[in-house]
Amino acid sequence: MNEWLVAALALLVGLVPCGVVCLRGDPVNRLVGLEMAGAVDTLVLLLLAQAYGRAIYFDLALALALLSFAGGMVFARFLERWI
Amino acid sequence: MSPRGLLVAALLVVGVGVALASCVGVLVMRDAYDRLHYTAPATTIAPLAIAAAIVLEESFSAAGIKALLVAVVLLVTNPVLTHATARAARIRELGEWTVQEGEQVKGERP
Repeated sequence: MNEWLVAALALLVGLVPCGVVCLRGDPVNRLVGLEMAGAVDTLVLLLLAQAYGRAIYFDLALALALLSFAGGMVFARFLERWI
Repeated sequence: MSPRGLLVAALLVVGVGVALASCVGVLVMRDAYDRLHYTAPATTIAPLAIAAAIVLEESFSAAGIKALLVAVVLLVTNPVLTHATARAARIRELGEWTVQEGEQVKGERP
């Protein structure tokens, strides 16, 4: 268990407040919780990739960063009018 | 512990601490506009600190470069996302708005 794994585990605790925000309030507040969870998840994957020492795992963090941006934009676009 | 190891640990503490603090901030704020502010530190300071720690540990290998790339992607995309979300929140709250020439924007928040 190295320091990267400890940091990743500590950061996982941060997903709990994001999940609580996702479960309460109106859709825009939930979207903010989702965006925050995406950012925290990206950081967790970054730390886990370094903890396991495989360079290929960093691609997961990169894919999540790009896809959570795309997902957030799509949700924001829909929330402007239809949902 | 070497000076470099200490610096790596300090950067990790800064990154993880900032991210956790902004998670709590998202939880305790009242409305979506206030909450959106707290996504900023988690996507600027935290990824830069963590990527800097990884670069210090690995130098500019494949891992270090990809970590920096992730940090830069978060840094560039999050302001766009924040803007789109705030715009969606305002349209839901006050309706679509168009500004004529020389007209004040109506609908200040109460």
